[in-house]
Amino acid sequence: MKRNFLSLSVAGAVLALSSVTVLSAGSIASASTLTAVKFVYDFPGPDMEIIPVVVAQKEGFFKANGLNVSVEFPPSTSLTTQLLTTGSGDIGFITTSDMAVAVEAKAPVISVANYSMTNNWGLFAKPGSTLTLASLKGKKIFSWGDTWTNAMIPFVLKKAHLKASDITIVTGANDTPLLMNGTINFTTSTTNYAIPGITEATKSAPVGIVGAAAGVPNVPVWVYAVTHNYANQHGKNVRAFLKAIKAATIWASSHQTKAVADFMAAYPKSGYSKFYSTKGWALTVPLLTNSAGKYFVQTNKQWTTLATALKSVKLIKSVPAPSTYYTNKFLP
Amino acid sequence: MSSSSLLELRGISKTFASTTALSTMDLTIERGSFVSIVGPSGCGKSTLFNVLSGLIQPDGGSINLEGRDVIGATGHVGYMLQKDLLVPWRTVLGNITLGARLKGKVTAEDRDQAKGFAEKYGLGDFLNHYPSALSGGMRQRVALMRTLATNHQLLLLDEPFGALDAQTRFEMQQWLLQVWRDTQRTVLFITHDVDEAVFLSDRILVMSPRPGRVVDDLAVNLPRPRTLETLVSPAFTEIKSKVLHQLHHERAL
Amino acid sequence: MTKKKLLLNIFGPILSVVVLIGIWQAIVVWGNVAPYIAPKPWDAINAVTSNWSTLAPLTWWTIKETVYGYLVGALLGAFLGVVLNKIPLMQRVLYPLLILTQAIPIIALAPPLVMILGFGVMPKVVIVAWIVFFPVTVSVLDGLNHVDKDLMTLAKVFGANSLRRFVVLEMPAAVTQLFSGLKIGATYAVTGAIIGELAASSGSSLALYQRSASGSLDAAGVYGTTLIMTAIGIVWFLLVVGAEYIATPWQRRSTARQWRRGAKPVVTNN
Ligand SMILES: Nc1ncnc2c1ncn2[C@@H]1O[C@H](COP(=O)(O)OP(=O)(O)O)[C@@H](O)[C@H]1O
Ligand SMILES: [Mg+2]
Repeated sequence: MKRNFLSLSVAGAVLALSSVTVLSAGSIASASTLTAVKFVYDFPGPDMEIIPVVVAQKEGFFKANGLNVSVEFPPSTSLTTQLLTTGSGDIGFITTSDMAVAVEAKAPVISVANYSMTNNWGLFAKPGSTLTLASLKGKKIFSWGDTWTNAMIPFVLKKAHLKASDITIVTGANDTPLLMNGTINFTTSTTNYAIPGITEATKSAPVGIVGAAAGVPNVPVWVYAVTHNYANQHGKNVRAFLKAIKAATIWASSHQTKAVADFMAAYPKSGYSKFYSTKGWALTVPLLTNSAGKYFVQTNKQWTTLATALKSVKLIKSVPAPSTYYTNKFLP
Repeated sequence: MSSSSLLELRGISKTFASTTALSTMDLTIERGSFVSIVGPSGCGKSTLFNVLSGLIQPDGGSINLEGRDVIGATGHVGYMLQKDLLVPWRTVLGNITLGARLKGKVTAEDRDQAKGFAEKYGLGDFLNHYPSALSGGMRQRVALMRTLATNHQLLLLDEPFGALDAQTRFEMQQWLLQVWRDTQRTVLFITHDVDEAVFLSDRILVMSPRPGRVVDDLAVNLPRPRTLETLVSPAFTEIKSKVLHQLHHERAL
Repeated sequence: MTKKKLLLNIFGPILSVVVLIGIWQAIVVWGNVAPYIAPKPWDAINAVTSNWSTLAPLTWWTIKETVYGYLVGALLGAFLGVVLNKIPLMQRVLYPLLILTQAIPIIALAPPLVMILGFGVMPKVVIVAWIVFFPVTVSVLDGLNHVDKDLMTLAKVFGANSLRRFVVLEMPAAVTQLFSGLKIGATYAVTGAIIGELAASSGSSLALYQRSASGSLDAAGVYGTTLIMTAIGIVWFLLVVGAEYIATPWQRRSTARQWRRGAKPVVTNN
């Protein structure tokens, strides 16, 4: 769902290394009192969704909760759960669909908190284009080829009464230039990534059909996850992590300019402009709380809905009890 | 030009930048003769061949081969070096017919001629072999057959047996004489080996050190066919000592 | 080749593959590696055979991309090698440029290629050709630069024009070198095709199948597709080795094969 998949993988690896060194160097003094936690992002390179973690690092929220958190980036997408199970990471940032396939594959991981609360995924096109479910037939639609996108597209087709062969799914390294020069008709993404990207390239907002309008189930997209082992043995760390993240998220929501500046300072070579990150973060903030204004809280319903949906598009074979997927017991 | 002379050089000279490799040279070669050229290293023997074959342009003079002026032209002599220069990817047959291939297509006649040479001179069973399967002497034979197969009257052989062991070399010398007699070619033969020159030739040209010029022109009136007996005959020794004297006399100067 | 040597040549590689698979199996079993991290060898093979109806067309596409790209790259590479050898000025002008092409990360090449050439087979062909041409150019150039000077001189004395000298002597003389470039290219070709597929694919591709498998924690699928990709690379390499075997018989035989034209056995009075 994120942009620049290939080119970022290299940059990401370099950044991951440098940020780890910088952080460990800066925390020598307090190393003895702080507990080290390795956070693994869902993508090879950093982008604005990592702002809560960066802010918690930079503004001292982790420290205040006794943690020294380092950030790792996976070598490619969809490897985060594996990195958790092999002990290369402690707390991971993954999509809910990653979570579902991990459980299906009997990987011992569990979601400990929602990151976002609603499904802001959909189809997007250049400003001024016609993008309706009726206009999809025969079009070239861009996909990142990740599990989430693979899971969502069948719902769009169902709602549009189309067969898979009615559209052409193309996959590549970066969607925006392809969209701009007409190589593809539509792209798939989430609002907080697509809108800043296309706006930046065209100077006006893209058209899109998102969430229910695109026929996709309304479930959270991203969660924080840990292995069962880590949850059992280091529940204290998980709780401290979420407490720090909650404080950082609240701070980053009310100090958005400052939060983006922290991100830009931590990752000056992320490949994203200040404009992109600012707009992206502004669009992310409203996704982070539920209708009651609460952070993190997961429900049986969200997981059952997701699992049922994934089963219906044959990405998983069975729908397990929702408690297999998640626990709210570490919420602050 | 007399009716029996094949080649006439008049006033041929060659200077490379500052070194004069050949000073003005006049030379007449009779058709069907076997003429050796001896002389110290670097005296311009190969340069003479290169001028004759058309590889390099002389500074002046004329070359007349069978009544034609051939200065600067190529494709009128057979030429063979110490290195056999067989191409590894062509068979013996393919190597013998290389000259024909280099001028166009190898015809059935070319092939028959090559087979004829090979069979006559003991390589009939090796026509389909690659050079890598041949001994040094066999390779040199193939190289000579390739030279013959170009069907030029004049053959320029530049130390062709220089790399062979003594025994093989003697066999090759005898063989060369047989070939020469059979095919009635005219041979210009460069060698360091005075024995070889005397054994093979009708005539020996002795060259001076650089700048090269012919300082002696000796007739070898030993009877043919020449055999092992020839090598130990007093006449052989006499001519050999003349050549050696001439070479050393020149060197002492 | 003696019988013993032949047996060694056949069973040596098989043995090393068996040993490798054995080590793989041992690591997974004794190391208690979870199936979503790394599969047992048999499971990886099974992931291929049981999904073959899906994988076969994808494999076929990858083969096409690899082969087309390879052929384009090999021809272009050989052509450039000749140009560089024949036009000395080009060695100075073009050679640095050619090195530059290899310094560009292939990943950076992909997006513009997709924009220009779309999502089909073309951008992959270009990427594969881009990777393959260079070793071929270098080897052809090397081969041509090392043709025996005396042999060329001899050909001149024989009165051969430069075209004949090239066709009859220089080209075959460079063939041995050419094949070393072709073999290096063969090992890289499939990698190029996979990079191309990752960079841009329409519908599905082996690379995307692998990515989806990875996303589904289907390690058997991931390793299985890797096996397919590896097999394509190995088979292609072996084909090139086979072509070399046929094209350069003088390297290992003492006589020409009887059925080859121009090297017929002695037949008197034909
Ligand atoms: N192409 C050339 N350029 C410059 N000098 C040359 C060339 N060919 C031969 N020479 C020089 O001319 C002299 C005679 O050489 P050459 O004819 O090869 O002697 P040799 O009698 O040993 O065959 C040598 O000093 C050699 O260095
Ligand atoms: Mg010489």
